[in-house]
Amino acid sequence: MTRYLELYWYFLIQRFKILMEYRLNFFIGATSTAILQAASLTAIWVVMRQIPSLNGWNFYEVILVYGLLTMGESITHMFADNLWTVGWNYVRSGDFDRFLVRPIDPLFHLLADRFCHDGIGNLITGALLVGVSMQQLGIAFSLQHIVYIIISVLSGGVIFIALNLITATSVFWIMESIPVTQMVFTMNEFAKYPLSIYHSSIRILLTWIIPYGFVSFYPASYLLGRDVGALVWLSPLVALVFIFMAYRIWLFGLRHYSSTGS
Amino acid sequence: MIQALRRELSIYKAIAGMAAKTRLAYNMWVWADFVVTIVSMIVFVYFWRAVYANTSTLSGLSLSQTITYILLARLLSPLVETRTIFFFGFMIRQGQIAVELTRPLDMQLRIMTESFAELLVFLVQRLPLFLIAWLFFGMQLPSDPALWGAFFISLVLGQIVLFLFDWMFACLAFYVTETWGLSVVRVAAGSFFSGAIVPLMMMPSWLQKLAAGLPFAQAMAVPVSFLSGISTAADAPHIWLIQITWLLVLLVLSRIVFGIAVRKVTVQGG
Amino acid sequence: MAIIQVDNLNKTFKVQRKDPGLGGAVKALFLPKYEDKVAVNGISFSIDASEIVGYIGVNGAGKSTTIKMLTGILLPTSGSVLVLGRDPHRERVANAREIGVVFGQRTQLWWDLAFIESLSLVAKIYQVPQTRYKQLLDQFAETLELKELLNVPIRNMSLGQKMRAELAATLIHEPRVVYLDEPTIGLDLIVKERIREFIKEQNRTKSTTVVLTTHDLGDIEELCKRVIIIDTGKLIYDGPIETIKDRFGKYREITFETLSTPGHVDLPSGAEIILSEPRKISVRFDRTATTASGVAAALMNQLEVKDFSLSEPDLASIIMQIYNGALSEEQAT
Repeated sequence: MTRYLELYWYFLIQRFKILMEYRLNFFIGATSTAILQAASLTAIWVVMRQIPSLNGWNFYEVILVYGLLTMGESITHMFADNLWTVGWNYVRSGDFDRFLVRPIDPLFHLLADRFCHDGIGNLITGALLVGVSMQQLGIAFSLQHIVYIIISVLSGGVIFIALNLITATSVFWIMESIPVTQMVFTMNEFAKYPLSIYHSSIRILLTWIIPYGFVSFYPASYLLGRDVGALVWLSPLVALVFIFMAYRIWLFGLRHYSSTGS
Repeated sequence: MIQALRRELSIYKAIAGMAAKTRLAYNMWVWADFVVTIVSMIVFVYFWRAVYANTSTLSGLSLSQTITYILLARLLSPLVETRTIFFFGFMIRQGQIAVELTRPLDMQLRIMTESFAELLVFLVQRLPLFLIAWLFFGMQLPSDPALWGAFFISLVLGQIVLFLFDWMFACLAFYVTETWGLSVVRVAAGSFFSGAIVPLMMMPSWLQKLAAGLPFAQAMAVPVSFLSGISTAADAPHIWLIQITWLLVLLVLSRIVFGIAVRKVTVQGG
Repeated sequence: MAIIQVDNLNKTFKVQRKDPGLGGAVKALFLPKYEDKVAVNGISFSIDASEIVGYIGVNGAGKSTTIKMLTGILLPTSGSVLVLGRDPHRERVANAREIGVVFGQRTQLWWDLAFIESLSLVAKIYQVPQTRYKQLLDQFAETLELKELLNVPIRNMSLGQKMRAELAATLIHEPRVVYLDEPTIGLDLIVKERIREFIKEQNRTKSTTVVLTTHDLGDIEELCKRVIIIDTGKLIYDGPIETIKDRFGKYREITFETLSTPGHVDLPSGAEIILSEPRKISVRFDRTATTASGVAAALMNQLEVKDFSLSEPDLASIIMQIYNGALSEEQAT
């Protein structure tokens, strides 16, 4: 597997060479996500300065949840952006077949082929939000907390990727995966705010079925000392289960593609 | 919301690159839009309910007014998006400016009509969502026909204002090679300052002043204010007058700026 | 042992049959009706090392379906495919290491990357050792004249340059089998020549087996000693090119330029006039029935001939005949 790591690094370097060709766009891309975030955050600030708390969560606590979600999302944004474009950019054009005649895993090739640097903007913004809110809330920057946050963010990222992978597999049946992926991905909007503000059915959906809750709400609850039981420790497990499921589903889709062609 | 915007932009790109759509795949796009809009509406409703948990008014708006306002803004959100800048960029890359300008009808008028037709189709597609929002999400619409009349007139005026502004803004495409970043800024500013994310009345006064100086509010917040109980029928003439003023000023400005930009391109070739 | 062994290969697709109109679309959604479409029907052949085989047929005959099964992209419905002793689908990675594929107009290189960067990424994917990579790069730069192209991104290359770059990238890992789909399409004659030379050289020096799918019969004539023809999924001919010419090229044409306008002319049997103009007459004759000299002598006895020319059977028209069923005609006689 070190070979794949080495290969990924090489893909990454070549990708940056491409991006450097379009230097202006590189910067615009990196800052565009930050600009979009600014709009959203300003909105939250505008609203929350008028009220003491949102269902018992004050402004900085809300920002903590928001920041954790942003960091989790940035990971799929950076490393798995091609799951959005697999339909129109690869399968429809026939370029996907190229992956099948190369001696590396096609999924690896698909993901490695495009590192999306815009995601870096989100990662940094998210980290800043988490850092600032922790400071304002007096949460210690202890080793335990830092490790917990890193693991949570990574698990969160894997959950995002897993869900996008499951929906991306639809490309092998309908030649385009964006609508299906969009429908599931959009559920992460719920996880931007504390899940406690929603009806219990939504909480259940976002915990057990489309587990975006594990990206932001449960880790935030842990850091804030809010009692939600054992759920605060489950993010890595949920991530592993879902990515395993997702990969099996992807392989199933690949098998279908080999029988029916494009 | 951010992701929604970003994804919508990438969807435009995807659609532009797509060849024939199978019937099934096309329906999936419609379904996806449906689901995405419903999810965002659910999020909004619960969010605002939580916001209003301990208070009955905020900045003079009741929960019901705010929910109506936000849901309407979400349902009408395609109206603040723009493809003009992509369109200009595309035209320039294809070298089609000269062709477009030689067509018999005035280009601006022609594009505006096409644009409005598309929007109309899109809104009609969204009618089921309006129904759902009205029946299940607590969107409360007035029964006074005068308010509806005021709304529609204001909507049309506001849309023209926005179109003209975008016409001007899109001229930047003549000067910059990659339009993606510009469209991101436009989308972010557009959503925020049109009051689509947060009612303008709740913003601190300096932001409200900023919003008043931008045309986005005219296209969304202003018309929607009639249906959410913020503006009355009596306010209509005054509001329309402001919109018409915007319209006339932008009409002149946009044509001037466009003329300059086109001359630059045709002189330099391409 | 054969490099490529195909036995009774079949591929049937399930195609959904939709009735037209809205009613049809609704029906299709709830009660889909499927039809079988046979793309490849019981094909068998074997190819040995160092062979360059032309795999031809009209569009829709099943060529690309066969190639997809050979390269492991598509799973056969029945029958077996063995490439270098492996099932290319089941042992996808091992097979992929030893094959190279050129997919017609689609490049395997990265659009915005300088060619040399694309190439080195490909080399890394195929784990080409650094020293060997350098050697091959120098060789290819020489034979394909790539030196000025090394820093050019693919998007800025002309069609001919793209194809030369593509070939270098396809052969950089020294595959034992190469599948070329329309490698010279759209190229001018000089570039075509260069590419054909390159392919021949690789085949000679490295014993690379080449499967060539093309509509360009110039490619076939120059590169292939053997040709497999398929039509509507079935293999209808597999053999040397020479035999095709002999078997189907039984007609020759002689065109005579005469000093006078011919009236009635007596010809030996097996010959017929196909063109008669003032001062020009073309005769087509069956080589098995009569000879060129027989026809020429007969004509020159009756007319004053200024000049004449003999034309060889044209591979293109022979192939046309085969597509049009000359084979089955022949088999019937």
